[in-house]
Amino acid sequence: MDRNEILNTVNNVFIDVLDDDSLVLTEATTANDVEEWDSLNHIQLVVAIERQFKIRFASQEILSWQNVGEMIDSIAAKLNQ
Amino acid sequence: MEHPVNYIYNKIAALNPMHGKKLKKNIAFFDDGYYDLADAFFEKYTGILHAQNKTLDYAIDCYLQMIADVNAETIEFLRTGKYSSTTFEEVIQRVYARPETMEYYMHGLIMSQFLWKHHYQIVDFFISNLPAYKDETKSYLEIGAGHGYYLSKALEILDDKTFFTVVDISETSIALAKDFIKDDRVEFNLQNIYDFNSDKKFDFITLGEVLEHVENPLQLLVKVNDLLSEDGVLFLTTPTNAPAIDHIYLFESADFIRDMIHVAGFKIEMEVDLLTEDVSPERAAKFKIATLYGAFVKKDKAAYL
Repeated sequence: MDRNEILNTVNNVFIDVLDDDSLVLTEATTANDVEEWDSLNHIQLVVAIERQFKIRFASQEILSWQNVGEMIDSIAAKLNQ
Repeated sequence: MEHPVNYIYNKIAALNPMHGKKLKKNIAFFDDGYYDLADAFFEKYTGILHAQNKTLDYAIDCYLQMIADVNAETIEFLRTGKYSSTTFEEVIQRVYARPETMEYYMHGLIMSQFLWKHHYQIVDFFISNLPAYKDETKSYLEIGAGHGYYLSKALEILDDKTFFTVVDISETSIALAKDFIKDDRVEFNLQNIYDFNSDKKFDFITLGEVLEHVENPLQLLVKVNDLLSEDGVLFLTTPTNAPAIDHIYLFESADFIRDMIHVAGFKIEMEVDLLTEDVSPERAAKFKIATLYGAFVKKDKAAYL
């Protein structure tokens, strides 16, 4: 799966969890850019992404992402393991 | 003058922007009644902190430490569908026997009383309905008084001649409740509720957010039923789907709680089931969003016929 496919899949997870069909993510998107991306929804997103990709994040990773691109870095690294 | 709670919200937003964003959604909801109660609460609490050479900033740090725990527990809960601790002994080792954990956890919980919308709503439900029971309440028992806020309201609302008793297993809680209340009408018992016996029955019992901390909440409700006078009232609250470092018993929905209340020999007089987030009940069920259930219940005399 290439980065673009990962981004599209992540985008769909965000749409479902945040209940916002108009959401369009880029790798530069941060929590500041998305109103509903708060601390509880972050956890919901993390677990929904884990399920979607059948991966498991470490707790340090969950807190470290500065933007969607860094989240995709983590996902891509796990998928390529 | 700025409301202390606004200072707290802004400070949290600076230290933890994602959590600050979540809390700020509450502000739109709060009315003047909220600010009156919250201002009085934080004034008293800041005084207690100062007497211990601590500041509100210290309490904010404690709160954020508690939130980090809650977030970690929530991730595990969403992955597994279970709370991470299953026995009381486990929680003693993880939390109650660790003074440094108890310290930040207790202050974090105090802060949540007025930072979490549902904590305010449930205390409002208690305060609004307790006066109706004033005349019949000659004795009041609170099991697990925590920081003592409900007790302080009961002392204000109920008759001066009411006899007040607290049973709490935690020395930290009792010390804090004493600081909060400073009222010699209250008899404090540092004891496990299962070891507490009383010749007299109580007209009103408060059991706020205790059931989720025990292995067998039905057994506790049966014990409480025995301590309640024939026409007495029990006020209870407990959350659904609310992982925390010291929560053991998982109620998956309000219906599980209602069923247990009935099995323990009570009938529900009045209830609320408050969503902790501003989402539809359907989305709350889909994403296992916590709710806080609260009810005034009485003995179901038909259950004994």
